[in-house]
Amino acid sequence: MRTTCPYCGVGCQVEPEIQGGRILRVLAPDIPPNHGALCVKGRFGLDFPFSGKRLLYPMVREDRRQAFRRVSWDEALDYTASQLLAVLKRRGPEAIAIFPSAKTTNEEVYLTQKLARALLSTNHVDHCSRLCHSSSTVALSRSLGGASMTNPIEDIWKTDLFLVVGSNTTETHPVIGAMIKKRVRQGAGLIVVDPRYTGMAEAATLWLRVRPGTDLFLLNAMARHILEEGLWDQGYVEERTEGFAEWRASLEPYTLEEAERITSVEKEKIALAARLYATTKRAGAYWAMGVTQHTKGTATAQALVNLALLTGKVGKEGAGLNPLRGQNNVQGAGDMGALPDVFPGYLKVSDQAARKRFEALWGVELNPEPGLRMTEVFEGIPKVEAIYLIGEDPVTSEPYQDHLKAKLKALPFLVVQDILENETTPFAHVVLPAASFLEKDGTFTNTDRRVQRIRKLLDPPGEARPDWWIVQELGKRLARALGRPWALYPGPEAIWEEVRRAIPEMMGGITYRRLEGEGVRWPCPHEDHPGEAVLFRERFNTPSGKARFFPVHFTPPAETPSEEYPFTLSTGRVLFHWHGGTLSRNSQLKEAYPELKVEVNPKDAQRLGIGDGEVIQVVSRRGRIQARAWVTERTPEGVVYAPFHFAEAPANRLTLNALDPFSRIPEYKVSAVRLEKLD
Amino acid sequence: MRLKVNGQEVEVQEGTLLLEITDPPHLCYHPHTETRGLCRLCLVEVNGRLLPACATQAQEGMEVRTDTEDLRTLRKTLLEWLALFTDLSLAPGLQGLLEAYGAHPGRWGRVPETRKEREPIRDNPFFLRDYAKCINCRRCVDACGEGIMGVWALTLEGRGLLAHPTTPLDRPLPETPCVFCGNCIQVCPTGALRPLSMEV
Repeated sequence: MRTTCPYCGVGCQVEPEIQGGRILRVLAPDIPPNHGALCVKGRFGLDFPFSGKRLLYPMVREDRRQAFRRVSWDEALDYTASQLLAVLKRRGPEAIAIFPSAKTTNEEVYLTQKLARALLSTNHVDHCSRLCHSSSTVALSRSLGGASMTNPIEDIWKTDLFLVVGSNTTETHPVIGAMIKKRVRQGAGLIVVDPRYTGMAEAATLWLRVRPGTDLFLLNAMARHILEEGLWDQGYVEERTEGFAEWRASLEPYTLEEAERITSVEKEKIALAARLYATTKRAGAYWAMGVTQHTKGTATAQALVNLALLTGKVGKEGAGLNPLRGQNNVQGAGDMGALPDVFPGYLKVSDQAARKRFEALWGVELNPEPGLRMTEVFEGIPKVEAIYLIGEDPVTSEPYQDHLKAKLKALPFLVVQDILENETTPFAHVVLPAASFLEKDGTFTNTDRRVQRIRKLLDPPGEARPDWWIVQELGKRLARALGRPWALYPGPEAIWEEVRRAIPEMMGGITYRRLEGEGVRWPCPHEDHPGEAVLFRERFNTPSGKARFFPVHFTPPAETPSEEYPFTLSTGRVLFHWHGGTLSRNSQLKEAYPELKVEVNPKDAQRLGIGDGEVIQVVSRRGRIQARAWVTERTPEGVVYAPFHFAEAPANRLTLNALDPFSRIPEYKVSAVRLEKLD
Repeated sequence: MRLKVNGQEVEVQEGTLLLEITDPPHLCYHPHTETRGLCRLCLVEVNGRLLPACATQAQEGMEVRTDTEDLRTLRKTLLEWLALFTDLSLAPGLQGLLEAYGAHPGRWGRVPETRKEREPIRDNPFFLRDYAKCINCRRCVDACGEGIMGVWALTLEGRGLLAHPTTPLDRPLPETPCVFCGNCIQVCPTGALRPLSMEV
C-alpha cells in the first residue's frame, strides 16, 4: 500500500512491503513527486517503528527524582490535564507552551494548535521550523505575503539556471538534488553558493566558495552589479513591486571589490553569477539552512527575495523562490497554524476578522496576543511552567545544549509525546507513547505544497496511540474542566473536513477521495480546482498586491574566530542521518554511518598534525565533544563541519544561542572552536 | 500520423514509441532509466525489417507486425539463452515468458562456465549484488548514472558470457560514489540486486 516517506520535505511516495513484523523492501510508485525514485533514507530507513526504543506505555512521575511508573491512558491523561489546568489557574495561559510537530500529520497539528488556542487560550504554539526556515518565512511573508516554494518541483525540468545557496541538496533533499543534477546534464546552468564542496558544488557550472556567513554580502553585491549593468527587469519592478528606490540606495556599499574582500570569492565570479542569473529568463533560486541559520538569516533570505524581484523571477514557470523545507510536514505544520502569531491558513492571531472566523468555528473566545517562539519559550523557563512537546527532541536540536538542559531541569512540568525514547525523554514528567507514520492515517504537505496521504499499514505496538487520538482525549478532559466546547472526531478524515471548512480558500477543494490518486497542491479552493502550481502569477498576496523590497545589511556573525578558538564550526547533516538521529539511528541507516566524523581541511590537519580518522576533541566556549577527524577538501581552510545527529557527541553542545532578531533562529552555522589532539 | 499495427489502422502523436502502441515482451526498457534497444526481446517487424519497439518511433505509413512466426522463434531463442546463462528463479515475469514462448533451454545442452556460478557480493549494509541472476539489461547502470542519480557507481565490465554490470574496477560499493538510493534495485527485473532485508 502507498504512503508518504516520513523523512524530508520532498514527500516521496513509498510502497513498503511488510511481512512478519518487518519491512521486506520499499519500492516507489510512478507518481509525483518522486516518480519511482527514492534516496537511501526512504529506501532503507523506514524501519525505525520496529526499534527496541519504541515508547510502548504511558508513564508518569510526579518528581524528576522518582522513576517513571507505567500507568493507564486514563491516569496519564487525567494527570496531564490536571497539571496543565493547575498551571493555567496559577499563572495563566502565558505559562503554558505547546509544540505540535512537523513530523505529525496536518490533522494532528491542527488539533494540537486548536487545543492550545481554544482550550488553554495560549498562543505559545510553535514547531521545529523555528530552527530551520523561520528566516525564510519572515522574509517571504513580508515581501510576497506567502512563505512557501513559489514553484512546483516539476518546474526543475523547465529551469535553465539554478541558483542554489546554502543547500547541501544531494544529501538533505536527495531526490530533488538528483533532479537538479539531471537537468544540468541536459544543459541547464547551476550556480552554487556554499563554503563546502558538496555534491551540488561538484555538479556546479559555477561554484562560489563563500566564507561562512558572508552570502548576504555576495547577494547584495550581485544585485548592485545587475543594476549597474542595467540587466534588471524594469517593467516588472515598476508594475509588480514597491520600495525599490529606498532599497536601491541601500546597496551603495556592496561593490564587487568589497564583496571579494568580505566573501573571498573573486569579483569576476560574482559578476558572472549576477549576469547569468539576471539574463536567464527561467532561473530559479533554491536555498536551505546555509542561508537561514544565522543571526542574519532573515536578512540573507531577504537579499535573495530582493534579487529575484529585481530580475522579475517570481510568478513565472521554471523560476521563482524555492526554500527547500526540511521535515516531512514542516510546510503542513505552518499551514495548520503551529506558529505563535497565526491561525491555520496564516491568518494573523492579532487580526480581528481572523479571530472572529476561528471563534465562530470553535465556539470560544480567543487570545489576541501573539505567543512566544520556540527559542523564546525555552529562554522563558521558569516563567513558562509547562511545556507539552510532541515529536521534538530539543536537547539534541537546540543550540548550546548544556544551557538548554539546565533550563529543562528548572521546568516544573514537561510532557513528552513521541514514538521513540530520545535525549529529552529523561527530563519529562509524563511520557505519552505515539503511533508512527506506518500506524495511522492522515496527510502530510510536502515542500511544494502538495497535500499527500499517509496510510495505516500496521497496528501501533503496545499501548501507543496516534497523536490525534491522544490530543483529542486530553482535550476532552480539559474542555470538561473548563466548561468549553471540544468537538470529537471519529478519525483523521473528520478533522480534515474541519480544516477544509476553516480555510476553504486554501484547502476547500482537497478531499481524502481526491488524494487517493496523487497529492493535490494548495491553494485549491474547490473540488474542480486542480491545485495551484506556480504562485503569484498575477498578484502577490500583500494588501497592495505588490511585492516589497526590504533593504538588508551585512553584519558579521555573532562569534568570530579568535586566537584561542581559531576555527569556524559549521553544523549540518549527512546523507545517512536525519536531524537528532532519533529515527535514522534506530534504523538500518545507522550501520552506514555509525559515528560522528568532523570534516577538517587537509592544510589545517597538517598544521595541527591531525591524521585522517584520528579521534580529536572539538572545543568551543560552551563545551567540548569527541569526534573522528575526516581530513577532506570538502571543507575550506579554517572551517570545520560537524553533523549534529550524534547524541553521544552532540555538535549542539558547541553552538551558541545567538538569535536572528526577526525569526529568532539560532546561529547554528557559525561558532568559534579549536581542535585538540587527544594525548 | 497513421500507421498499421498487425493490419489495424492506428493514429498516434509524433514521437510515440512503437512500444507504447504495441505489446511485445520487453526487458531492458524502463521509462526512468531510458535504457533501450539492448535485450532485443521487443523486436517487431517494420516494413519487413526487425527493429526494437522500445527504440523506434512511429512513422507515417509504417506497417508493423508484432507476432509473426519468425518473431516468436527469435524470442524463444533469446529467452532460452537468458535462461542458460542466468538464474531466473527470482524473475517470475521471465519464467512466465519462457512458458508462453515454449522455450526449452535444455535443447542447447550445458553451458561450460557462466555467470550462474558467481557468488552474491555483500559489501554494504543495505543490498547485495547477485550477478548469477543478472541478465545484462543495464537498467541499474542507467538508473545510477544518466537516467536518475548521476553518480555512476555502476558500470559494465567483462565480455561475452562474463559481461555484467559492476562497480568501476570492481571496487566495493562503499568505496564508490554510491549513495545507496536503491534506485538500481527498484529497476532490476530479476532480483539480481535485492535488499538484504529480503534474505532470511
